[in-house]
Amino acid sequence: MTLAKLWTIGFRDLMRNRRRSFFTLLAVALGLALLIVLNGFITGVFDDAIQNSIRLQTGHVQLRAPSYSDEKMSLLWADLLDNPAELVAQAQSVAGVQVATPVLWASGIVATPDDSAGLRVYGIDPASAFYEPLRAGLVAGAFPAADDRSGIVIGQRLANNLGLHVDDNVSLTVVNADGEPVEGAFTVRGIFSTGVVTYDESALFMPLAKAQAFTRTDGHASAIIMMLDAQDKADAVAAALAMPNVKALTWRDLNQVMIQSVESGMGFYVILDAIVIMIVAVIIANTLLMAVFERIREMGILAALGMKGRQIITMFVLEAAILGIAGIVLGVLIGLGGVSYLVNTGLYVGDMAGSTPGVPLGATIYAAYAPGLFANLALWTLLIILLASLYPGWFAARREPAEALHML
Amino acid sequence: MAVIQVENASKIYRIGEVETRALDGVDVSVDAGEFMALVGPSGSGKTTLLQIMGCLDKPNTGSVKINGQDVTRFNANQRADLRRDVIGFIFQFFALVPVLSAYENVELPLLLSGASAKERRQRVMQMLEAVGLADRAHHRPDQLSGGQQQRVAIARALAPKPLMVLADEPTANLDTANGQQAMEIMQRLNQETGAAFIFATHDPRVMSYARRTVTMRDGHIVSNGQALG
Ligand SMILES: Nc1ncnc2c1ncn2[C@@H]1O[C@H](COP(=O)(O)OP(=O)(O)OP(=O)(O)O)[C@@H](O)[C@H]1O
Ligand SMILES: [Mg+2]
Repeated sequence: MTLAKLWTIGFRDLMRNRRRSFFTLLAVALGLALLIVLNGFITGVFDDAIQNSIRLQTGHVQLRAPSYSDEKMSLLWADLLDNPAELVAQAQSVAGVQVATPVLWASGIVATPDDSAGLRVYGIDPASAFYEPLRAGLVAGAFPAADDRSGIVIGQRLANNLGLHVDDNVSLTVVNADGEPVEGAFTVRGIFSTGVVTYDESALFMPLAKAQAFTRTDGHASAIIMMLDAQDKADAVAAALAMPNVKALTWRDLNQVMIQSVESGMGFYVILDAIVIMIVAVIIANTLLMAVFERIREMGILAALGMKGRQIITMFVLEAAILGIAGIVLGVLIGLGGVSYLVNTGLYVGDMAGSTPGVPLGATIYAAYAPGLFANLALWTLLIILLASLYPGWFAARREPAEALHML
Repeated sequence: MAVIQVENASKIYRIGEVETRALDGVDVSVDAGEFMALVGPSGSGKTTLLQIMGCLDKPNTGSVKINGQDVTRFNANQRADLRRDVIGFIFQFFALVPVLSAYENVELPLLLSGASAKERRQRVMQMLEAVGLADRAHHRPDQLSGGQQQRVAIARALAPKPLMVLADEPTANLDTANGQQAMEIMQRLNQETGAAFIFATHDPRVMSYARRTVTMRDGHIVSNGQALG
């Protein structure tokens, strides 16, 4: 029996039941489109979170003292780098390193007469290219010069929360290297907005020299932050900078917690994907089963003509394949349309972005194209459609023809 | 020479606690080229016997020999091949594939047996001409009258040159004129092709075409009839 005739019968059956075929096709298409948009969105969110973190916080590679721990933000000399200038020079000599800049971190509390907020204090080289995103994000004022002894820059959300404007004075308290709280008066020189809630709400930048003096860590830095010309060179650069008493960490190490929460989040979405795929599969199996019950006598007639069970199953699988492929094509189109909208326009989530601490998200989050992932989803959908269509075919084929002829 | 021999065949249907002996020790033998009516009251087992003869179902006990081979031992695929190559069916409901044209319906068994495109074309047109429907070749079943549909079914049953044709009340859904026309076509094809025809019927006018009449009652054969000259 030529496959062509089975195709013909399958295709004409689909055309004969236009409404049913249309709704099945739509179920496949919308199911897959949903999966694609969902996965494009998740991919985008996670890509964004990692890129934001690299761009604003961790860089691609960092040098730190071996005992330094992120959680503690310790200012003890043992936990700091004592030769930052040398290390910067060394880092800059490694191929692929575009920017290397020292940073000093401390936790602090900023207070106005009415209000206060806990935040992270960054002592930075204001001229470094690493802070280009912050400079570009300035909404008021300017970056302080390297020798500014009282200027700070804060995020817009923090400024709004505390009712601060450029040129306002604040008091900042940190625990210094000697373990004593010290308080100083500072003036807001600039206000930035990165769109990433965690920075806009709880970061305070000042020139490194002032930060060192304020915290009694003269000549020291918490880390050297490096940006590379390509993210995938991180391991090579880290290896090139291996030396005793300094540890080199890549963006993967530095964002480990986030990557882990992203991966466990992905696990959740795999389950969600599976559920949506199952729903699509059940709808398709149901539609095909209805088609079998409608046509069980026809199956009996074909069996009487000498068609074998295998051929009857093939006929159903072909019908499913026609529907499935058409549905998948439509689903990919709709899905890509949705993803493209979310890539270009994004989804405004506002303050919700701040509700995931440790995951730096913008107030507008964007999807990303993940062609491999989308292709995978489409293939899985097709596979499940074909599997689901085997059941009704088998159901029809395993009966004695007499039984099929008796029905209806 | 017998094309089919049914020996001591029994068929029991069970629905819950209720058992129906649809066939109870049936012996019947049909020779090549016979034109035989299977008659008897409703529920006497005619359809069941035809289904067992046609390898559409298996008897619970007894044997069915087609061309000397016991087909009750055949597996599903072997029985499918046998139906394809040796047996033609005509049903009370015209039983055409609704999405295929008259031409394609007649072509279907030829496709199944792997006939070449040229053979198929010749044979399909020959059969449609034999039933007087060459001009309706490209009509779908729902564009044909009942009588025309049944003639397409007859053409389809005979297209692969079967040894025997089993027809279950082929005229029950036709008016007198169409029923008569169908019987005349079957009679003519029986004479021209030498295929044995076995048809179940209640209709005395149809019985009158038979050269032999087998009568059933309660799953038994009560009269084996005899071939008329
Ligand atoms: N699938 C089935 N399940 C249960 N009982 C059945 C089934 N098919 C037939 N029977 C029973 O078997 C007996 C014989 O039925 P069969 O259809 O062979 O009779 P028939 O002679 O063809 O009758 P009719 O002239 O009405 O077509 C009847 O009592 C019927 O009720
Ligand atoms: Mg009957």
